Amino acid sequence: MDVDPRQYEHIAINDNDIHNIVLSYLVHNCYKETVDSFISCTGMKQPANCLEDMEMRKRILHFALEGNALKAIELTEELAQDLLEKNKDLHFDLLSLHFVELVCSRKCTEALEFAQTKLTPFGKVQKYVEKLEDFMALLAYEEPEKSPMFHLLSLEYRQHVADNLNRAILAHAERPRYAAMERLIQQTTAVRQCLSQELGKDVHPPFSLKDFMKS
Amino acid sequence: MGGVEDDEPASKRMKLSSVELRGLSNGSAFREPVAGSLRDLMARPLPSEGDEDVIGPAGVIKRVEFVRIIAKALYSLGYTKSGAHLEEESGIPLHSSMVNLFTQQILDGHWDESLATLSKIGLVDESVIKSASFLILEQKFFELLDAEKVMDALKTLRTEIAPLCIKNSRVRELSSCIVSPPKCVVVCSPKQDIVRAKSRPKLLEELQKLLPPTIMIPERRLEHLVEQALVLQREACMFHNSSDRDMSLYTDHQCGRDQIPSRTLQILQGHTDEVWFLQFSHNGKYLASSSNDRSAIIWEVDLNGGVTLKHKLSGHQKPVSCVSWSSDDQQLLTCGVEEAVRRWDVSSGNCLHVYEKAGLGLVSCGWHPDRKWIFSGANDKSICMWELGGKELECWKGQRTLKISDLEVTSDGKQIITMCKESALLLLDREAKVERYIEEDQTITSFSLSRDNKFLLVNLLNQEIHLWNIEGEVKLVAKYKGHKRSRFVIRSCFGGLEQAFIASGSEDSQVYIWHRASCDLIGALPGHSGAVNCVSWNPANPHMLASASDDRTIRIWGLKDLNVKRKDCHSNGVHYCNGGT
Repeated sequence: MDVDPRQYEHIAINDNDIHNIVLSYLVHNCYKETVDSFISCTGMKQPANCLEDMEMRKRILHFALEGNALKAIELTEELAQDLLEKNKDLHFDLLSLHFVELVCSRKCTEALEFAQTKLTPFGKVQKYVEKLEDFMALLAYEEPEKSPMFHLLSLEYRQHVADNLNRAILAHAERPRYAAMERLIQQTTAVRQCLSQELGKDVHPPFSLKDFMKS
Repeated sequence: MGGVEDDEPASKRMKLSSVELRGLSNGSAFREPVAGSLRDLMARPLPSEGDEDVIGPAGVIKRVEFVRIIAKALYSLGYTKSGAHLEEESGIPLHSSMVNLFTQQILDGHWDESLATLSKIGLVDESVIKSASFLILEQKFFELLDAEKVMDALKTLRTEIAPLCIKNSRVRELSSCIVSPPKCVVVCSPKQDIVRAKSRPKLLEELQKLLPPTIMIPERRLEHLVEQALVLQREACMFHNSSDRDMSLYTDHQCGRDQIPSRTLQILQGHTDEVWFLQFSHNGKYLASSSNDRSAIIWEVDLNGGVTLKHKLSGHQKPVSCVSWSSDDQQLLTCGVEEAVRRWDVSSGNCLHVYEKAGLGLVSCGWHPDRKWIFSGANDKSICMWELGGKELECWKGQRTLKISDLEVTSDGKQIITMCKESALLLLDREAKVERYIEEDQTITSFSLSRDNKFLLVNLLNQEIHLWNIEGEVKLVAKYKGHKRSRFVIRSCFGGLEQAFIASGSEDSQVYIWHRASCDLIGALPGHSGAVNCVSWNPANPHMLASASDDRTIRIWGLKDLNVKRKDCHSNGVHYCNGGT
């Protein structure tokens, strides 16, 4: 499609805005060293506080991604005491990561005990019951990778839980849950899709971010 | 006869010889009948009833199957010795030795052994083997859990059950059971009842259902076959009008005509003009009739079936066209033609209320089953609903072209059925406000609702009676012909045991009775000397029928060979008679 390229020229962009966008992305993902060099390169004023928790957050997320959920939980409790209490879903997801670890290392007895003590209390609430059953089903298979629930063992799942944990920690520290860049991209895509729909499907091909970036 | 030990009891030795002789010829259980071999010809005795492959005149019953289900029935009845003896004498084992072993292992709980036996039983279908194995291992699993051997149960689940790769959702449930055993009731799941160990005999029964019947005879097979035959006999019995307890295995069931009322037992002469309508109460203890003489009469049916006049209900200024019993039979509604509806108390005979509509004449009446409301059709084509006290609650008007003359309310109070056009009936669902129609291509003169609210009997101008199924979509089910109708309204009704018969009046003065299912005319009962306008079959006594006629009488019909002692004649209008008129 596209907007006439000349129209872009009429829009002025503030360098500071761009710097902030990039910085927020780096902070969100805990790229500490990059943050340091970016700040010094651009000569930005270092925003207060943003570096403090980053180190801790980075470690927590790292443990979560590895599958060492217990450590992640421990550090999270240190960082933000009531965070997990307020985010029961997240707490359950983290505990389940540990359970999955135990199952994958074929420690059945431990896994069973852990499930009985830590996970089943969640089962009193209806919405956790199905999730709980999904995880328990893993116990039935000698090769959980080949079971119907194999997706629970995947990196994608751990990434998903880590992302949620990240957002929860940020929210707890009253920072934005989403990096500005993420939001901008989402905004662009959503708006373009709306426009395409309004103008009618036949008029233009649906918006593709990838193509747009290339052009 | 070599190889027989000398110290064996003599009887055993003799048995051995007879078995040996017959074992060669009784090959149907174990091998194909062999033709032509000299040895067999010599060993086989002449064919007799005892040795054929098939038995019975039609030649469709296989001997082996027949003997096996008899043996099974003997065991089910508890006659174990007889069962065993039959197996031995016939040489046809009920189950192969593998199956017997399997059964015993299941009952003893030797799961691993039973699985091994399962593979030797002779099953061909892989999926059946897997399903059966799953059932057995599930039982093993639950029994281990019950014995609190959690790790063993887990091992069974992981190494034996899951590898079967069937029923994944069940495997999931079993995992949950390990983590939260049902007795701890931690997981609040509503499906507690399928997560316990069943009894071993129950497991055996489920396995029996799974395995093909040739391998394991199903439970109660013989009983099932016999019941099937009895049910078919009963359905084929056209005159069946007595309770099933009379069915016997000794002879084919067939009721004779003697079960249908066909003889006038009484002639009731309470009315002074044509009797137009009559109906038994729900409990069969009363009969209400209405007449052109502007009165209605409540008759009482005593324990012997004798009918006596109880109350004469006067008050209407016009002929009374119909009556309606309340669901508890304590009250009666009567309707004067284009006049008013009156409500009467049955025990005292007093008129409790008169329902009128200014400027209109009412033409039909009906009770709501709750007895709090009554319905009435008016000659302006509307239907009104009144509270008992007389307050009008609702009124439905609709596209009707004929004066509404018949009205029925289903016994659940949900539907009202009335005529709406000359050849159509309206079925109005009061709650859902849905209207359904029965369309005929002839003028409808009257209709009658079955007790189960599922069927409607419709009398037509062209002397046919149509039976409609009104459950769901209306459809025509049957037609009955034979009676005569040309000028008047003639009514018909359902009756007999389970309403298996249809009865109708007729202008040729006879009462007609048909078998409902087959539409066959069973009988035409003469006796009246005027058109028979209406019939009613006693709901509590399938052998009692009442008919109302233009000859001013009501006849009570009963069984031919009923011989009941009666009291002396009373002078209140009842005339007794035995035999024909």
